[in-house]
Amino acid sequence: MKVNISRQNIYLLALSTFLLLFVLLFSFLVLIPKGKEYREERNELKKANRELRKYENFDSDTFSLLKKLQSDNRHIITAFKTDFNADRFEKQNKNYFSSLSVSKKVFIDKVEDEFSVYEVNTTSHISSPKSFYQFLDAVNKGDWMIKINFPINFKRDADMIRSSFTMRVYKASRESNSSK
Amino acid sequence: MKYSYIKPRRKTIISPELQLLFVFFGITLLMLFLTYAFLLFKDYRFSQNMQDIDNKIIELKNNTSKMKTQIAFIEKENLLAQKIYTQNSVLKDSISNLFDLVPQRITLSEAKLLKNGLIFYGITPNKDIYNFMLQAPLRSIFHKTYTSFYPLSNGWLRFVSTNYIDDNEIDEEIDNTLNEEL
Repeated sequence: MKVNISRQNIYLLALSTFLLLFVLLFSFLVLIPKGKEYREERNELKKANRELRKYENFDSDTFSLLKKLQSDNRHIITAFKTDFNADRFEKQNKNYFSSLSVSKKVFIDKVEDEFSVYEVNTTSHISSPKSFYQFLDAVNKGDWMIKINFPINFKRDADMIRSSFTMRVYKASRESNSSK
Repeated sequence: MKYSYIKPRRKTIISPELQLLFVFFGITLLMLFLTYAFLLFKDYRFSQNMQDIDNKIIELKNNTSKMKTQIAFIEKENLLAQKIYTQNSVLKDSISNLFDLVPQRITLSEAKLLKNGLIFYGITPNKDIYNFMLQAPLRSIFHKTYTSFYPLSNGWLRFVSTNYIDDNEIDEEIDNTLNEEL
């Protein structure tokens, strides 16, 4: 039996076969591996996003903690930041003394490379030790971080007490309250 | 004049079968290429997103690290401030307590407060009053106590009382007060 296939049909069949092969090869060799890769990348991206959220949450928690610390310790931070001013100190504390004179500040030391310590000598006249106690209370609430240091001398001077003492002023060497 | 009974068929290069084939494969190939283009675009977007995420993570890490440094510094400032405040308060209480020690009958002319000691200058009617009313409490506070007396013309005695305490004990006292307050 003779099968009679026309030339045109043969071309048609050949082209169909070629295109079908191309489609199959393209699908299996290119598209499917690429699809797999896409799925893996999608999972990887989800994982990376989860990681990013974790870091964002941690960052946000740290930021809240920093803000809380900054607001809770505002007075301390400001006191460590403020430059000592002898005139302002005298003006602020003159109520506790009949007379008060403060020497120039002298740099003496650094604490852990983060705090500079200055020394200021003070001489004053007080009517009673009570004024000195009030001054010690006020120093802790003042504009500067001041530690009253030894030696402290009290000497009778007519009806007054002449007191002389050393103050150590602490100043932060770097910034602690710059925000995010 | 007609030579055929049927109408002549228009002959084209692309037969209807071939047209059908092209349309079918055309659509198939278009879908395949579109899918491939979609995957390539997603791949490109993925790289971009990953790069963005990596950059954000690095930025967040740096920011968090900066904030942690600030937190550590504020905590250090707070600790130092508490220590200073406590030392000032302890100093106030110490001075107050020391002046309270001095009885009415003894008059002080000068007091020197040192880091590890105390020097009192004053006058007392006699040695006994000094020994019972001032030296006894001073002895209970300080480890070493020395006193010198100088007679005055009115029969009273001028005294210089020098008292010292061990350094370690001062530090311990400050540390204990600080711990209690914290």
